[in-house]
Amino acid sequence: MSDTMPIEDYLARGGVLSSPANVPPRYRGELLRLMASFVDSELAGSAGFADTINDAPGIQERISAARIVLEKADHAGQVLSVMETFGADGGRYAVHHPWAERLAREADIGAARQGGDMRLSVFHYPLQGWVDAVVMNVLMGRASVVQLKELSRVSYQPLAEVFRAVLPRETRHAELGLAGLVRVVEDEDGRANARASVAYWYPRVAASFGHSGSARFETLSRFGLRHTPNETLLAEWRAEVDAQLSALGLN
Amino acid sequence: MARFHPLTVTDIRRETRDAVVVTLRPSDEDRAVFDFTQGQYLTFRRRFEDEELRRSYSICAGKDEGVLKVGIKRVDGGCFSTWVNENLKVGDTLEAMPPMGAFFTALEPDVGKHYLGFAGGSGITPVLSIVKTVLSREPRSRFTLVYANRQISSIMFREELEDLKNLYLGRLSVLHVLESEAQDIDLFTGRVDAEKCAALFKGWIDIASVATAFICGPEPMMLAIAAALREHGLRDEQIKFELFASSQPGRARRKVEQANGADHGAACEATVTLDGATRVFKFPKQGQSLLDAALENAMDAPYACKAGVCSTCRAKVLEGEVEMETNHALEDYEVRQGYVLTCQCYPLTDRIVVSYDQ
Repeated sequence: MSDTMPIEDYLARGGVLSSPANVPPRYRGELLRLMASFVDSELAGSAGFADTINDAPGIQERISAARIVLEKADHAGQVLSVMETFGADGGRYAVHHPWAERLAREADIGAARQGGDMRLSVFHYPLQGWVDAVVMNVLMGRASVVQLKELSRVSYQPLAEVFRAVLPRETRHAELGLAGLVRVVEDEDGRANARASVAYWYPRVAASFGHSGSARFETLSRFGLRHTPNETLLAEWRAEVDAQLSALGLN
Repeated sequence: MARFHPLTVTDIRRETRDAVVVTLRPSDEDRAVFDFTQGQYLTFRRRFEDEELRRSYSICAGKDEGVLKVGIKRVDGGCFSTWVNENLKVGDTLEAMPPMGAFFTALEPDVGKHYLGFAGGSGITPVLSIVKTVLSREPRSRFTLVYANRQISSIMFREELEDLKNLYLGRLSVLHVLESEAQDIDLFTGRVDAEKCAALFKGWIDIASVATAFICGPEPMMLAIAAALREHGLRDEQIKFELFASSQPGRARRKVEQANGADHGAACEATVTLDGATRVFKFPKQGQSLLDAALENAMDAPYACKAGVCSTCRAKVLEGEVEMETNHALEDYEVRQGYVLTCQCYPLTDRIVVSYDQ
């Protein structure tokens, strides 16, 4: 059974890699970029949400917000440990960007990364109070679930396993958000504020799915690092959140 | 960053004509460092002439054996595996990093599970570690092993597997599939491919009862088995892979030696290869990193932190010389081989040749 095949063919046919030693160079670069994007987004998401804890209107909401802050940092740590097996300096990495920093509310950066900070563009925008944070968490929470389901199939097994373990907790975060939003829309003021936040966040979260017909997607899918095109994931997300928003009279 | 620790060779046993099992002992202070989990591997390093090579080999001991053992099969043209098979002696020291890898599932002593393992050739090493450990630590679990080899004489651990079958009566079954040797039952001759798997799942293996399947072997075999398992109802999270090191090159290539002459220009001509396409551009020697210059020239080079800590932007310098401003991610041996972090890289010579593909 010594027959082998080129690693590129193996990956193109759905093969799985299991350690840094069997990862080819270009795959390595794309894999690390993908991991960095997740780590930066989780750290920025966690950091941005931290202030929200003090805006929470009740004990239960405070606990939910604190739990989201805690667990997103933990998820970042889990993926950073996989990056460390490729030589990344985890200690330095965790502090190399000011994760809580945000652009102006009205800045318009589309889907663009900012410098060496690989967080999804949506995490560069600031939250404005409790209702705004809840709406952002509902919309981005659902997006994270859609994106994590896709990432749970990545061809690098140690990473796929982390994503599979993280998925139920991220799903819970989105559910906590939705429960919070149900309480927000109980009164008319809350509903009006939530509507304004939906109008602000919806296009920005949608942009985080990336461009349709992306050239990078082609490269990533050859490596088994992506499977479903950006536009399909975006459509899936739209269908899910549109239904949730219309049930609450928010769209 | 992971550190290397010395291990003393306490035994070398010839397992087949071209494979040995090496027993290793850590120093007393390193004992905890080498407390492995079944299915993990060790990464060794050794200098051959001026070149440092690193090779990973799976641990084949069970957790309760109290020793560290690796099985090393000689690969054609493989520098490290040949050296181990021909030159390594009891009393020698090998340097290894702490055990790594996630080719295992959590042990649950109270639960009775049915594990299924597929091993091709020396891919048996991590699977053997798992077999021994789960049979000893999970008294109610059983293990079915499908073990593919070319012929009887190349089967590693044949006797040890027989002994385990006797020790754990009725809990371990081993199906040997031999590629080029006829057996009484046709099913056990040939390659383990999709067809063979389907036949095995029909009469010999109750696939519905399998909790987790472990596969370790060469690429085509892994693909065929994984596809067959999925087709028969296993979910991705029930299938654990360990791709064995068939793709590890035998010999690290030497860095191509330097450009000559005077290098007094203010700009550098860079020849950069990415995804098989090569682009030539000029950029100033100071003020702009090689990565930024490549990005500016419309190359989709990989990067993330731009701070020299994540190593996403790693590339290899094939000609010319560069200087790295900071490096928190590459180890000395990688730097010696010519690898650089392009986000931290500034040229010293008037011409450089760099590849992201090597």
